[in-house]
Amino acid sequence: MNGCYAPEVLALFIADDLSPAEAASVNNHVRGCEKCLKTCDELEASQTFVKSRLRPMPNPELLSAVRHNVLSKIQSQELTLGWRLKLERMLWACFRKQAYAYATLAILVVISASLLAQIHHTDQVQHLTAAVFDADGLVRPGAYRDWVFLGSTKDAESLHNVYIEPAAYRQYAKTGIFPEGTVFVRERVRPGGDSLTVEASVKDSNRFPGGWAFFAFTDGQGKVLMKALPDGNCRSCHEQKAEKDQVFTQFYPVLRLARMES
Amino acid sequence: MIRTAVSMSRITESERSPDVLEIEALVQRVLTGDSAAFEGIILRYERRVLTLAMKLLGTAEDAQDAAQEVFIRAYKYLHRLDIQKPIEPWLMRMTVNVCRDLGRKRQRRFNTFSEADTMEAPDTAKTSNPHTGLVEQQEKQLLWQALNSLPEKERIAVTLRDIEGLSTSEVAAILESSETTVRSQISRARVRLKDAIQRMIGGLQ
Repeated sequence: MNGCYAPEVLALFIADDLSPAEAASVNNHVRGCEKCLKTCDELEASQTFVKSRLRPMPNPELLSAVRHNVLSKIQSQELTLGWRLKLERMLWACFRKQAYAYATLAILVVISASLLAQIHHTDQVQHLTAAVFDADGLVRPGAYRDWVFLGSTKDAESLHNVYIEPAAYRQYAKTGIFPEGTVFVRERVRPGGDSLTVEASVKDSNRFPGGWAFFAFTDGQGKVLMKALPDGNCRSCHEQKAEKDQVFTQFYPVLRLARMES
Repeated sequence: MIRTAVSMSRITESERSPDVLEIEALVQRVLTGDSAAFEGIILRYERRVLTLAMKLLGTAEDAQDAAQEVFIRAYKYLHRLDIQKPIEPWLMRMTVNVCRDLGRKRQRRFNTFSEADTMEAPDTAKTSNPHTGLVEQQEKQLLWQALNSLPEKERIAVTLRDIEGLSTSEVAAILESSETTVRSQISRARVRLKDAIQRMIGGLQ
């Protein structure tokens, strides 16, 4: 007969899963349609069959085993609640409404993340202790001769001694990267011992385009300066010829050895 | 208002039976550190959880693992339970999720009928004819296989609706799905089961 209902609709009809209006419409049709009536009978029979056959009942031993295992696990050390769950329970106890507890948790997460980021940032910039800036520029580093001595080159009248700030040296040895705040000092000395010039390079990507800036603590007449502004003359050479991150690591075997040993 | 065993709505003050109040008290005791009180909760719901797990997983061994996992999760996350709502739907939802995970993990469902047998109370004493018992066992085996052949979502929906006897709205709430989707899953499952049973009965005759 044309216009029969799909078996899926009849499957809902036989178990009262249709809306009253739908059910009434299907009922009107089914009463006059042998095919649909037969399908309904078959569906009802299979429903009865399923319900009568599939009635698993757990036996008492199984129930007891579940209970015993769960309780022993709870009461033993095996099921210790982690700190997150303990914190969550505490918050839930304070705020019985889940939304408040979730909001508080979210705030705590944000605060923790900010603190962690702050600690990380502090860790990164603590090398800047050697690079002190004020309105007039970089303050001439003080005890640079106590730093790690990287090596020396020579020209006709002087030696060029190069030092790196110790924390930056350790970080480079560990990671192969010059951290933010790294300071190098190059001091030109006469063989007799007089200091002629002091120059410094500082890595601070937030402050200087290109990451590095170079400073000379001597004016054109050879007068020693206690503060200096970035000197653009050094940059191009460092950018073009330095082996790594604008540092002439190719001339400092100390750095290479430190990396290798690390 | 009709309220079934697993109704998901809030319990009003007037509807707080001694049972509900007792469960609330047990939950509070567990949350304040009295883990022994959890036994009271297990005792109340172990049969329901284990029965559903058996229906969904088909073997006593898997059902036991699932029920244990359900109660351990319930213990861990008991603080998340909204005490204003009945606990049973929460446990049923957890049971369905655990069984789903376990089923996927083990990649097998209902395929050890000999084990499924062990979880049912023996009813052979009811029948005087041993052949009748044998046929029933065969029928059950084939029925498990028919259920097993259904897609997971349809199998879970039809189990909750037709074997557990929950309403469509309750099934939808447990599965966190819409009633329309659940109705569609149930209708398809019923037709597939009918076809499978007809083939099966033809094979037995």
